[in-house]
Amino acid sequence: MQIQARKTSAHPIATAGFLTPGLGLLALFVVVPILLTAWISLHSGSMAMSYSQLQWVGLHNYTIIFQQSTFRTALINVFLYSAANIVIILPLAVLLGMFLQQTSIRAKNVLRTVLFLPYMIPTVAVAIVWGYLYEPQYGPINQILGWVHIPAQDWLGSINEAMISLVILNVWQTLGYYVVIVVAGLTEIPQEYYEAASIDGASWFQQQLYITLPLLNRSLAFVFVILTINTLQIFDPVYVLTQGSPVNSTDVVAYQMYVTAFNYGQAGLASAMAMVLLAVILLLSLAQLRLFRSI
Amino acid sequence: MIHIYTKRYRTSRARGRFPAALLQYATTLVLICIMLFPFFWLIASSLKSPSELGAIPPIWWSAHPSFSSYITVFEVIPFARALLNSVIVTVCSTIGILVTSIMAGYVFAKHHFRGKNLLFIGVLATMMVPQFIMLIPLYRMMNAFNLTNSYPGLILPNLANGFGIFLMRQFISGIPDDLIEAAQLDGASQWTILWRVVAPLLRPAAAALVLFAFVFQWNNFLWPLSIVYTQDMSTVVLSLNSLRTYTSSITFTNIVMAGTAIGILPSVILTLAVQKYFIEGISMTGIKG
Repeated sequence: MQIQARKTSAHPIATAGFLTPGLGLLALFVVVPILLTAWISLHSGSMAMSYSQLQWVGLHNYTIIFQQSTFRTALINVFLYSAANIVIILPLAVLLGMFLQQTSIRAKNVLRTVLFLPYMIPTVAVAIVWGYLYEPQYGPINQILGWVHIPAQDWLGSINEAMISLVILNVWQTLGYYVVIVVAGLTEIPQEYYEAASIDGASWFQQQLYITLPLLNRSLAFVFVILTINTLQIFDPVYVLTQGSPVNSTDVVAYQMYVTAFNYGQAGLASAMAMVLLAVILLLSLAQLRLFRSI
Repeated sequence: MIHIYTKRYRTSRARGRFPAALLQYATTLVLICIMLFPFFWLIASSLKSPSELGAIPPIWWSAHPSFSSYITVFEVIPFARALLNSVIVTVCSTIGILVTSIMAGYVFAKHHFRGKNLLFIGVLATMMVPQFIMLIPLYRMMNAFNLTNSYPGLILPNLANGFGIFLMRQFISGIPDDLIEAAQLDGASQWTILWRVVAPLLRPAAAALVLFAFVFQWNNFLWPLSIVYTQDMSTVVLSLNSLRTYTSSITFTNIVMAGTAIGILPSVILTLAVQKYFIEGISMTGIKG
């Protein structure tokens, strides 16, 4: 009896009443739509058709999208985009986090603020500004490169450079957020460890290698997973700046899904694309979490 | 005493650890310049004349800076209306998220019932789901209820927010049970306890949530793009995109940049005013989750 008394709420009406709005909204606008996306992905039909009009096609939509070279390209592109972001942001976030944590100069608060600021402004605005920065003739980036005798680049107009241009834009915009997470992880490491290490004669570098990095494991796992989830979803800069061009070099899954759904009206194919990307995101983040747990 | 102690302690540690103060200043300065350069270019371009915008090599600062583009942008598109739309959508969404999150967060933190942990894990899982996975059914839902191109259509899906519930639960867990039990002994109802005892203590968490929710809604692009199809229902971010598309000529850059500068202003002001809460919010949910 006692156990049961603890398991049921002392205020059942309040419990249910307080939970209903929040959880009801999540069910209606998140859970149900995910299930519907899975359902639509097994059917063929347009965006305007009602659910009863959709025709069951089984896994046919998945077969079709994997036969399309454009979808395979979009999938590879988004992997490359994500990998490039991780390779650049992860070490930079750790270095900058350590720098912010260990310097005592006043200006570091300004640095922390300006690092974090771009993360809070609309990605569309960031894309617009960077579009002009990258402008081959009228933009300042090629001009600055010219000062150090590097030839002008085509940036967003070049098949080889368009993707890395989007990566640089994203690094500039989101780095500060990941630095904040790393700093939060660093403040949790007890100072006694460093004192003990320096008494034992460990150098600054050794302290970072053998104390900071291992104890930062959890923060790094978090940064890794969030980075993967966020970068695989890239949509706004592609929509604003490149629309997948030049020659599909910046075509990504979310953009292709949007175009398939809203420009071509093919709800089934678009839903299958969404499900593939969701599966990729889920599998990768679970694998990463497991990887970090085993270290 | 403790405060003074830690401060002095940190300074001495930092001096011993990171190489040379001069190097630190130089690094900081370079990084600040890199981070601020796009903002500089945004403002500088908005003040240039059309001929200066088309100059090769580019001119960094106008010889005769002019604010006229900040007026023109309101004439070429219904930008005032877009600002109003964004304010309406953002404020309604934020209030809705705050109220529902506090209620659900309180239950998850202080009530006990069968299946609570499982339910909470479910809430956490919804945070990980990308927006575009729900896009097609949500669009069809809004279409079925004739809510496309309307305020309710723009606002409703935003109200589902697992992050808010998570943040509030984390914060309310830190409030002592004694406080709630004392109010109970005085005969207060759960409703009274939530809004009179617990809610007033939530100011830092509420600030963090309001800012995250506000900025997220203000910046959102995908959802308005999908359901808005007339200019008078456009949000700010949506009009910035159309502004850029309509004005392909480089000589109109000043108007696009002026619009962009106005469009990012609310997010910038909020971030600068209360970044302390943002960072607390990230630390609280990001690491201890």
